[in-house]
Amino acid sequence: MADYDAIVIGAGNGGLAAAATLAGAGASVCVLERHNIPGGCATSFCRGRFEFEVALHQLSGMGTEGNPGPLRFTMANLGVLERVEFIESNDLYRIQIPDRIDITLKTDRKQVVDELSGRFPEEREAIANFFDMLYAYFQELVKAFFLKDPDASPERYPLIYRYSMRSTKDVMDSYFRSPLLKSVITIYWSYLGLPPSRLMFMDFAITLYSYLEYKSYHVKGGSQSISNALADIIVEKGQEIRFNCGVKRILVRDGRAAGVITETGEEISAGCVISNASKITTYVDLIDREHLPGDFFGHLRSSAIGVSALSLYMGLDCPPSEAGITQPTNFISPTEDYERAYECAKTVEVSEDSGLLTCYNYMDPSFSPEGTTIATFVTLKYGEPWMQIKPEEYHEIKFRCGEQMMEILDRVYPGVRGRIEEFEIATPLTHLRYLGHPNGSVYGFDQHPWESSFFTQQKAPIPGLFITGAWAGMGGFQPTYQSGEKVARLALKNIKG
Amino acid sequence: MALDLHKMQNYDRLLEQMNEFRERGTDYRSLRGRMSEVMDRLHPKRLRLEVAEIIQETPSAKTFRLVAPDRSLPPFLPGQYITVYTEVQSVATARAYSLSSAPADSGHYDITVRRLAGGLVSGRMLDRWRVGDTIEASSPSGNFYHNRIIHDRSVVYLAGGSGITPFMSMIRQEATRPAGMNVCLLYGSNSDGDIIFHDELNRLAEGNARFRYVPVVEKPGAGYRGKTGYLTADLIREVLGDVEGRTFFLCGPGAMYDFCIRQLEALGVPRRKIRREMFGALPDITRHRDWPAEVNPAAEFSVQIKGKDTIKAKAGDSLLTSLEKNGLKVPSLCRSGECSYCRVKLLSGRVFQPKESLVRSSDRRFGYIHSCMSYPLTDLEILL
Ligand SMILES: Cc1cc2nc3c(=O)[nH]c(=O)nc-3n(C[C@H](O)[C@H](O)[C@H](O)COP(=O)(O)OP(=O)(O)OC[C@H]3O[C@@H](n4cnc5c(N)ncnc54)[C@H](O)[C@@H]3O)c2cc1C
Ligand code: FES
Repeated sequence: MADYDAIVIGAGNGGLAAAATLAGAGASVCVLERHNIPGGCATSFCRGRFEFEVALHQLSGMGTEGNPGPLRFTMANLGVLERVEFIESNDLYRIQIPDRIDITLKTDRKQVVDELSGRFPEEREAIANFFDMLYAYFQELVKAFFLKDPDASPERYPLIYRYSMRSTKDVMDSYFRSPLLKSVITIYWSYLGLPPSRLMFMDFAITLYSYLEYKSYHVKGGSQSISNALADIIVEKGQEIRFNCGVKRILVRDGRAAGVITETGEEISAGCVISNASKITTYVDLIDREHLPGDFFGHLRSSAIGVSALSLYMGLDCPPSEAGITQPTNFISPTEDYERAYECAKTVEVSEDSGLLTCYNYMDPSFSPEGTTIATFVTLKYGEPWMQIKPEEYHEIKFRCGEQMMEILDRVYPGVRGRIEEFEIATPLTHLRYLGHPNGSVYGFDQHPWESSFFTQQKAPIPGLFITGAWAGMGGFQPTYQSGEKVARLALKNIKG
Repeated sequence: MALDLHKMQNYDRLLEQMNEFRERGTDYRSLRGRMSEVMDRLHPKRLRLEVAEIIQETPSAKTFRLVAPDRSLPPFLPGQYITVYTEVQSVATARAYSLSSAPADSGHYDITVRRLAGGLVSGRMLDRWRVGDTIEASSPSGNFYHNRIIHDRSVVYLAGGSGITPFMSMIRQEATRPAGMNVCLLYGSNSDGDIIFHDELNRLAEGNARFRYVPVVEKPGAGYRGKTGYLTADLIREVLGDVEGRTFFLCGPGAMYDFCIRQLEALGVPRRKIRREMFGALPDITRHRDWPAEVNPAAEFSVQIKGKDTIKAKAGDSLLTSLEKNGLKVPSLCRSGECSYCRVKLLSGRVFQPKESLVRSSDRRFGYIHSCMSYPLTDLEILL
C-alpha cells in the first residue's frame, strides 16, 4: 500500500491546482516544495513597508460573473473564488513608444476599435475587419474545440483553417499597412515570450481576445493569496504540503512512477507522481535514463528553453499620479520593431528591450501603504547568457542592467527614479534560484507552434507520471492553473482505475 | 480533435520548422546537474567554512576569519550577512552575522562577534572557537547595501556597537576604489575602551577627504576628548551641516532605531533616504514599544505541534527559539522577521509579532507567522 495516492513535486500554480483538485476528489496527496512558501512564480516578497508581487501582471480569462471566462470556472472548482478577492479592471494597456505613439486601450472591443481608428483613420476599415475576424475566429474555436464538433471541416471552420497556424506577423501584415498600428495591437507578444514572426496566430488571438472579452483582473493581496488559498484548501482536506523539501529522484517500479526520494533521502511511495518541476529537470535530473524511451531526448530537441525575466521592483514614497503613472498596465518599447526588441532578450545588456511597467495599487489602493506606489518594471531575458556570468561579476552586471532599465523608464516616467524607497532587482538567475527551472525560464519552453497539442503529445512516457505547469503547455497564470486541474483529472482516473 | 491538420494553412511549413529545430536543438541530457551547479556557485544552501584566524578586536569582540577549504566563496555585497548554524548545549540553532570584510578581500569572509550579556551563542563562539574549527553557514544574503541606482553618492552611516560590522565592509570596499562615494560614519559605542575597529577607522580617515569618522561615546572614560552622548539630531546636524542629498544607513541594537529614525525625521530626512538593517530581534522582547505590558515574559504556554508533540514555550522567547530548544528543526536565516524561512502556520492561539516582522499580507490573512519574531501570548496550536 503506497503512502499516498499522489505525490506532487512543486507547489507552483500547476502543482497546487492539481493537489487541490485531487484533495477535493478525496484522494490522498502530498505536495513537496523546495522553497519555504507556496506559489513558485505566484509569490510575493516584502521589503520595508512594501510587499511586491513577483509575477502576476494581468490575470486573464476570469471574466465577470455575468460573462464568466474559463478561469472563473477553474477558480470556482478549486474553491479559490470564495477565499480570494478578484478585482476587475477595464484597462487593457497603455503603450508608449517614445516619439512615436502613446495610446491607451480598454478591455472593450468598441473602445479599442474607435481609439485605433481615430489614430489610424486611413486603416479604419481594416481595423474593424480585423476585430470582426478575431471575434468570429474565437466563436469557431469554441464550437470546434470546447463543444467538440465532430465535423470540424474547413468548410464549417474557415477561419480556423486559414489563420490558426500562420504567424501573428503574417496575419497582421495581411490586414494592416502601418507598422506602428501593428505594434500597438501585438504588444501582448511579450506575455507569450516570442515575437510576432514566430508566434502562432492562434496563441496570440486567444490572449488578446481573452483580455478584451474577459477583462483583466488583479488579485487582492497578490497572486500569493491564490497560492496561500490553494495551500489552505489542500491542508483543510487533510492533505499534506511540506516546504523546504526538494525532490531528488522519482522512483519508477515495474515501469510505473511509484514515488520519490527527497533531498534528505526520505523515500515516499505513491500511486502516481505529478511533477510541477520543469520538464527538463523531471526527465534529466529526477528520472533515471533507463526508464525513458530511446528516442525521448531526440524528440525533446525541438523544444527550446523559454524566456526568463529581468525585473525592477519599486516601492515609491508618493502616489502613482505624482510619479506620472496613470494606468495599471504600461508597455514601454524603445522600438516599434518587436523583432528587434525580441533579439535584445538574448543579450544580458538592456538596450531596445520592450518593458512593462505595472502599477499594483492603481486598482487596489490597499496593495500599498497610503500615499505610496508599488510598481514593477519588467523585461524578458533569456537566461542562457546569464548562466555564463562569473560569480564575481554577477552583482556588477545586475546593477548595470538595472541602471539600463532605469534609463528606459526615465525617458517616459522621469518622476519615478527620485521617489524610490524600496528597490529590488530580479534577474534570470534569481528566478533560477527560486524556481530551479533551467535558465530561470518563467514560461517553460518557448511557445513555438509545435508545442501546441496539434503537434506534440503531452502524455508522459511513464505510466503514473504527469507533468503540470508552464513546461507542460503554455506558460502564464491562466494556463498553468488549468493545466493543474486537467492533469489531476487524468491522475484521478489512474488512481481509481 | 477532428481537424484535418494538413488542410490548415502553414501546417506543412511548421512541420518542417519543427524538424529544423530538432536538428539544431539541444540534447537536454547535457544539462544534467547544470542548474544546481550554477546556483551553487552563487547561492549555495550551505557553506562549510574553516576558522583560519581569530583577531581580538576589543576586550569584548573578536573577528573570525573564515575560509572555504573545498570551494570558492560566493560573492556578496558589502552590508550582507551570513547565518552560522551551530549547536549550543545540544540545541541546534543559528545566528546571523554581517560580513565585516570587503568583497575585494577575496578568499575569506570575516565576521566580527561581540559578547552579548545573556546571549546563548556569541559567548560560546568567543570562548570556544579555535583556528582550524569547521563551521556551517548560509551563503551571504540580506538587503542592506548601497544601491547605486537609487541611493545618493553621499552616504551617512549611523552605527551602534556591533552594528559597525556591515559598515566596516562598506568602508573597506570604498577604500579600494579610486573615485568612490563620500562617506561619513557616526559610530556610537558604550565606552571608549570598546570601540570596535577604532584604530583602523582612524587610519582610513586620516588625510582622506572622502571619509569622515566620528566616534560618539555614551560613557566616556577620563581623558576622552571626542563626541559624547547619543546620535542626536543636533549632533548629526553639527557634523554634517546639511542633510540634503545624502542617504542614511542605520545598523545597531534595536533601541537605536526608534531613537535615530526620530532624529532623522526631525531633521527632515525623507523616509526613502533612510535604510536600516534588521540586525536580529531585541534580546529582551519586553522592551519592544508594542509589547503588551500585562504579559509576564516568564509565563509559560503549551504549544501543540499538529501531528507531533506538545512543548512548553515562554512568552519572552521567540517561538523559533522554543521549538529549537525542544529539538525541532525549523529552517531559519535572518532571524529578524525578514526572510520567512521560519514561517509556520498558527492554527489557534495568539502571538505577539513586532511590526518589523515582514509578514506577507496574505500570510497574515491565512494565519502564517514568522516564528523567529513571534512570542506566544496564549496556548498555541501550530503546523510546521
Ligand atoms: C517576473 C515574472 C513575470 C511574469 N509575468 C506574468 C504575467 O504577467 N502573466 C502571466 O500569466 N504569467 C506571468 N509569469 C509567468 C507565470 O508566473 C508562470 O508561467 C506560472 O506561474 C508558472 O506556473 P507553474 O505551474 O509552471 O509553476 P512554477 O511557478 O514554475 O513553480 C514550480 C515550483 O516547483 C518547485 N520545484 C521545482 N523543482 C522541484 C523539486 N525538485 N522538488 C520540489 N519542488 C520543486 C519550485 O520551487 C516551484 O515552487 C511571470 C513570471 C515571472 C517570474
Ligand atoms: S528566520 Fe527570517 S523571518 Fe524568521
